[in-house]
Amino acid sequence: MIRGIKRAIRGLAIGLFATFAYAQSALAVELTMYYPVAVGGPLTKIVDGLVADFTKANPDIKVNAIYAGNYNDARIKALAALKAGKPAQLSVMFAIDIYELIEQDAIVPFDDIVETAEEKAWLNSFYPALMGNGRTGGKTWGIPFQRSTIVMYYNKDAFRDAGLDPEKPPATWDELVSMGKKLVKKSGDKTDRWAIMIPSTGYPYWMFGALTMENDQVLMNSDGNKTYFSAAPTVQALEFWQELGDKHGIMPKGTIEWGTLRKNFLEGKAAIMWHSTGNLTTVKKNAKFDFGVAMLPANKRRGTPTGGGNFYIFKKTTPEERKAAMKLIRFLTEPSRAAEWSIKTGYIGTSPAAYDTPALKKYVEEFPPAAVARDQLKYATPELSTYQAGRVRKSLDDAIQATLTGKKSAKDSLGSAQSQSERLLKRYQ
Amino acid sequence: MTSARNIKNQVYGWLLLTPAAILLVTFTHYPAIATLAQSFFSTGTVTRPSKFIGLDNYRSMLEDEVFWQVLENNIWYAVGTIPISIAIALLMAVWVNEKLPLRGLVRMSYFTPTILPMIAVANIWLFFYTPEIGLLDQVGALFGAPSHNWLGDTDTVLGCIIAITIWKEAGFFMIFYLAALQTLPPELEEAAKLEGASRWTFFRRVTFPLLMPTTLFVLINAVINSFKLVDQLFILTKGGPDNASSLLLYYIYENAFSFFDQNYASTLTVVLLLALAVIAIGQFVILDKRIHYR
Amino acid sequence: MPAIELRGVTKKWPGTVAVDTVSFTVEEGSFVVLLGPSGCGKSTTLRMIAGLEDVSEGTVLINDTDMTGATPAERRVSMVFQSYAIFPHLDVRENILFGLKVRKIPATEQSERLSRVADLVGLSDLLDRKPAQLSGGQRQRVALARAIIAENPICLMDEPLSNLDAKLRHEMRIELRALQRRLGMTVVYVTHDQTEAMSMADRVILMREGQIEQIGTPDELYDTPATTFTASFIGTPPMNLIALESGSGGGVVAGTKTTVVAGKLGQNRILGIRPEHITVTTTGKTAGRRKAAPKGVPAQVSSCDYLGADTIVEATCGEQSILVRVPGRCVLEEGERVGLSWSNEDVHVFDAETGQIVPDAEPLSVAA
Repeated sequence: MIRGIKRAIRGLAIGLFATFAYAQSALAVELTMYYPVAVGGPLTKIVDGLVADFTKANPDIKVNAIYAGNYNDARIKALAALKAGKPAQLSVMFAIDIYELIEQDAIVPFDDIVETAEEKAWLNSFYPALMGNGRTGGKTWGIPFQRSTIVMYYNKDAFRDAGLDPEKPPATWDELVSMGKKLVKKSGDKTDRWAIMIPSTGYPYWMFGALTMENDQVLMNSDGNKTYFSAAPTVQALEFWQELGDKHGIMPKGTIEWGTLRKNFLEGKAAIMWHSTGNLTTVKKNAKFDFGVAMLPANKRRGTPTGGGNFYIFKKTTPEERKAAMKLIRFLTEPSRAAEWSIKTGYIGTSPAAYDTPALKKYVEEFPPAAVARDQLKYATPELSTYQAGRVRKSLDDAIQATLTGKKSAKDSLGSAQSQSERLLKRYQ
Repeated sequence: MTSARNIKNQVYGWLLLTPAAILLVTFTHYPAIATLAQSFFSTGTVTRPSKFIGLDNYRSMLEDEVFWQVLENNIWYAVGTIPISIAIALLMAVWVNEKLPLRGLVRMSYFTPTILPMIAVANIWLFFYTPEIGLLDQVGALFGAPSHNWLGDTDTVLGCIIAITIWKEAGFFMIFYLAALQTLPPELEEAAKLEGASRWTFFRRVTFPLLMPTTLFVLINAVINSFKLVDQLFILTKGGPDNASSLLLYYIYENAFSFFDQNYASTLTVVLLLALAVIAIGQFVILDKRIHYR
Repeated sequence: MPAIELRGVTKKWPGTVAVDTVSFTVEEGSFVVLLGPSGCGKSTTLRMIAGLEDVSEGTVLINDTDMTGATPAERRVSMVFQSYAIFPHLDVRENILFGLKVRKIPATEQSERLSRVADLVGLSDLLDRKPAQLSGGQRQRVALARAIIAENPICLMDEPLSNLDAKLRHEMRIELRALQRRLGMTVVYVTHDQTEAMSMADRVILMREGQIEQIGTPDELYDTPATTFTASFIGTPPMNLIALESGSGGGVVAGTKTTVVAGKLGQNRILGIRPEHITVTTTGKTAGRRKAAPKGVPAQVSSCDYLGADTIVEATCGEQSILVRVPGRCVLEEGERVGLSWSNEDVHVFDAETGQIVPDAEPLSVAA
């Protein structure tokens, strides 16, 4: 009797051990990845499909891809998991979260993971403009994935209506103002159509990044510890933005809502809008008029900030997990997949090789606006990203909104934003 | 003998309480105390560990212009939403308590805003307020009013937020008033009618005083909501333009999750909690004496 | 001039007729009771007089003025509700003064009237109390005071005593009646309790299923019921209603042989007689002799219910049960054979089908 029980226990133990060992060998590595979705559309399905392809090709790596809300949510969830001691191994997060993540000691630079020369070469295979927000202190911390820039969408029918050449969108600030005055359509007090709308809620600093760059001024240094908010070209850029509404009367006064702007454009209430390339596919689907996409106009030069999310690998990972994470990232950023991703979403193909793939080549040929974002990349600049990013960004956002709503002059509001950010960044210099 | 049994009873009692106590401590008391403790520490990073800084967080709060603006906004928000939503709720309740055709439908339509999630509500109202294409401007255009950038103007944005909150809350409060009204015996109104009291007199002298317990309940809820209900800001304004529509709780959220300054957020939370406690106690002490409870 | 007159007043609700062509008058200064079982339409009738219920058809006149469509306030009537309808948040003083304040009566007059009325109903010491601190009887007095202070000549009362206990109810009955006489009020009083009606009313209006069954003084209703309904509703215990059948010499109690009604009409007749008008005869136990059969209608005792002043004896006669009120304590054994006798003056004969009284019937006395 007792012997029987003993035998049963021994059998059970062996069985358990065997199951364990089997599980260990079958799933050598398990990865958890958070990813955000910032613009509408069936993005989660596309990501799930890509991940499924990956596990098919790499049966020894299991990937839990977790949709984590918008960029903000994804960062909060990833950092919360980190604090709770159950971190993910990799994550797609805002490109501009880099300093925050470094300060939290949450991520490792890719330079520490890559080994072979081929891998090192891979680090340099992306558009340099997209690497701006991923590199600091001589190291690469983020690999571009869902990246966008700002482009100018314009209503060709409105251009024809105003007697302008629909194939020649404004290329400079002066042209923007002079054409804008023709594009505005009024009936009495009421404006039936505005010439231009630049959104100033949600991400005002991002749009402003374009205007300052066009005025040949960056907003911060590459170490993320200095800002140039009160530089003369910066002030001039904000004054120009404000004058579009106040002086030239071609843009509505006050702030312009990010969330409803696309609808305004699609309903013909704005002849031109500045918006993320991430909207391209949606606008293409819903526009009932002939529309065009162009680079943003230049003043001293052309310019736009990049935007969107990068891949990061977390520090609390084993060498095996890091390797597996690398494998996944390389798989997802392969030119053919980057091309597929770009066609399905409107995000930029992250490497020149992606635009050389037959699929994307064909798509660009059939739909030239898809190339605008790529062509503009050579003028692109990193998105505003510093230490204490949230507060610094907010100080600039507040300054922009205070000026656009007429509460403060550009000079005053940017001056106080600059002194605020200097106070915040002092200890990082 | 008896004392042994007594102890046994005590142990038994405590054991029964334990599950609830654990939940209460874990999810209510511990976070509250932790929040208070955190407000005395600096926000740490890996390179700069958190350290005790006494009242420094409170000091910098007093110097924080945004805090003062947000506080002022919140006071206007409370002053704007509380009396109006309660008055509308009462008015609607009195109305739908009468016999009228399609009463069920009317009651339901008043209650609908309440069951919609605030995020959905905000999405609806976003398109009401949008200049040019928004409902407000389109209706205004019928009367020749010029287009207005409702959410983009620092002078109107807070009013817009207040309007949404009233729209959302009034129906909810109406349900409480309606329930209270239905417990009032109809003879009271008949007796007053025989005495020649007008409907207004009856409302002022009888209905309203008898609804005071409900009013107190609703009032406390409304006050708490005026500090709690900030969901619409995420969709509508993100507190802008230039903090003109930012409220205390939203500012706490920004500090905690956009700026990762947990400790400053804790400081603001402590202040918010204190303010709410003072208001609630004040309401009870002042109003309780003047309320008739049945 | 009648204080109140109803002419063909009808109240219809979808699917039902609550009050059906009711007409009556209420003389000034009289105490009229609307009596009937629950659901007979008496409260609805009262509420139509008050103006709290719309009149579907007919006319309501108050002091000879058509008030059918007037508001309650215009009718200048007071009302006491069954639930008292006291405002729970106001103290006794404010409750009593409510109407005067609404009508903006000068303050000096208010306090003068208040002290008079409070005195009258015995509330002078309780003016600062809240209703929750009062007993049921005291609340009743508040409601009464509120009705009196208005000094309206007409006061309507809707079962005002039904929430009180038996003893208090009895006291209030006497008090109410005295008050009505003293103030010369015209009172219309609704109740389902026939004792209240009998003890207080100048006139009783008995209602049944929305219609008036009989109108009369309490004596008239008691002594000369026009229908079996009236007969059975008034009196405790109610009048015996005994089915008759044809016998050799006329109508006999079903199952017996004694002729109780002369003439051929026996079938379809009901004999009504009050319990106190029947005499029970037993066979005296005469020593050595055999028992003689008791005289009168033969019956068998089935139970005795001793109440103190009298005893209610239940006897079975044929297949029917008959109640007899016997003064004092009456000891009869169950199953004992007795004889029932009565005088023909106390007998009422009704038609079994219509329930109406048969005026030309010739009831016979049953001798003991």
